[in-house]
Amino acid sequence: MREMTIGQFFPGTSFVHRLDPRTKLLIMLAYIVLVFLVKGFVGYGVLAVFLLAACLSAKVKIGYLLKTIKPIIVIVFITFVLNLFFTEGETPWLSLGPVKIYPEGVRFAVMMALRLIFLLMGTSLLTLTTSPMALTDALERLLKPLNKLHFPVHELSMMMTIALRFIPTLMEETDKIMKAQAARGADFDTGNLIDKAKAMLPLLVPLFVSAFRRADDLALAMEARCYHGGDRRTRMKELHYAKIDGIAAALTLLATLGIVAERIFL
Amino acid sequence: MPVEVRNLSHIYDAGGPFAFRALEDVSFRIADGEFVAVIGHTGSGKSTLVQHLNGLSKPTSGTVFVGNLNLSDKNTSLKEVRKKVGLVFQYPEYQLFEETVKADIGFGPKNLGLDAEEINDRVREAMELTELDYAELAEKSPFELSGGQKRRVAIAGVLAMEPDILILDEPAAGLDPAGRDNILSLIKKWHESGKTIIMVSHSMDDVADLAQHILVMNHGKLEMEGTPEEIFSKGQRLQEIGLGVPAVTALAMRLNALGFALPSNLYRMEDMEQALLHALKGGKHV
Ligand SMILES: Nc1ncnc2c1ncn2[C@@H]1O[C@H](COP(=O)(O)OP(=O)(O)OP(=O)(O)O)[C@@H](O)[C@H]1O
Ligand SMILES: [Mg+2]
Repeated sequence: MREMTIGQFFPGTSFVHRLDPRTKLLIMLAYIVLVFLVKGFVGYGVLAVFLLAACLSAKVKIGYLLKTIKPIIVIVFITFVLNLFFTEGETPWLSLGPVKIYPEGVRFAVMMALRLIFLLMGTSLLTLTTSPMALTDALERLLKPLNKLHFPVHELSMMMTIALRFIPTLMEETDKIMKAQAARGADFDTGNLIDKAKAMLPLLVPLFVSAFRRADDLALAMEARCYHGGDRRTRMKELHYAKIDGIAAALTLLATLGIVAERIFL
Repeated sequence: MPVEVRNLSHIYDAGGPFAFRALEDVSFRIADGEFVAVIGHTGSGKSTLVQHLNGLSKPTSGTVFVGNLNLSDKNTSLKEVRKKVGLVFQYPEYQLFEETVKADIGFGPKNLGLDAEEINDRVREAMELTELDYAELAEKSPFELSGGQKRRVAIAGVLAMEPDILILDEPAAGLDPAGRDNILSLIKKWHESGKTIIMVSHSMDDVADLAQHILVMNHGKLEMEGTPEEIFSKGQRLQEIGLGVPAVTALAMRLNALGFALPSNLYRMEDMEQALLHALKGGKHV
């Protein structure tokens, strides 16, 4: 359970780590749009260079970033196969009875698979280099204008922060309770679906009990320290844009121009 | 049933970015019917160690034998192991989940595949062993009980599996003094009735009172092993690795610093009394 690579954060002091989380979030947004804009392999080339540069300057091993694809490899494969068989073109490359493979299909399938891989690697790079707290903080700042529409931005981000904060705690707790029940001979792995669902009870009940207790304790502790909603709260860590944010934005703009040019001229 | 641990190492998240060596080359032997205490600073690997003794954690390298069962062997039935070795976790009351005390204590025996009558007998017996009143508590929800009672229900849940070896991870943590004394005197009784006891503890006084054999963990290694006399005569070293010594030993060390010449292996009140009387009568103090 602790071996999950998606969403894990590696602290560091690299160029990418030091960027303002708002910048990273906005660049991520641009990156996602770009991934969907890309039309051909030139565009992917531009994106690959961009991702590689980000990866190198973040001092994240490329092998590690590639490993983050592992959980979705099956989805990538299915997408690839479906597109391969169901895209129609003019002259088939290969026809085995009713199954025909067109060059357009191959091209499209590769593009779609690449799209997924690029999306995941990009988002992984973001979460690897930005703490969840910084991300929710950035999100709160960026969404602040919505406050005017009475959208509870602060409350939402506080909830996200708390949820993120407790994910590792709950995982640890799950691990511990599973072991404790296994010590009493509980078996979580064998039997049919109904047996397995029943076997979860000794795990879920203690987990919920402790989650509610934790929630209670936390609410009390927050109140004891006079926490009250969003208005006029000051922050311990103010976010400031710096020169490196400008550099990163400029580089992103460059990549965007490249991909837009591809779309228009190629 | 003896326990034998040979060159046991455990690495959490082995090969991963957060790999952590929690146990390193630990070897020891526990004889049948011994009362063993495992002590060590926070994070020294005590809990990790005891979880290897009933197969909940798998060694990264090394072997664990319980009787003639090799726990690293894939063919060893874990059910068999857990029947023989009962493990009570730290804060075991957090694992209670059934609607009644009776059902919760019966969870272990039920998993062993016993029939209803046998389960009932075992529940009664386990409640007796933990001084819980069957008539009053059996049908209650475990969540309504006091902290000390909850703890005893959780322990009863393990005792009901009738293990030969009972491991308790910090059984007295977080209880009031009365609850603590109660649990410790019960553990003493179970030991006297023939069970092998392995107790993880932070309290040197409890260890001094009860243990016959002490394992001292320090940063994942077995730093010392021996009888209480042997271990507590090395008070200096214990303090260096972040542990205390029993109050009696501390007193002896302080008195010796003031010029007394008390033996260095004092850890029991009776022995202290004798030694002091002897020293004072002999007029050895300055
Ligand atoms: N599931 C886990 N994954 C990764 N590391 C762990 C895990 N469980 C424990 N550790 C680490 O292994 C080390 C030993 O932990 P362990 O729980 O065995 O210590 P302990 O001696 O029982 O401490 P305490 O007195 O606090 O209970 C600690 O540094 C801990 O952070
Ligand atoms: Mg522990």
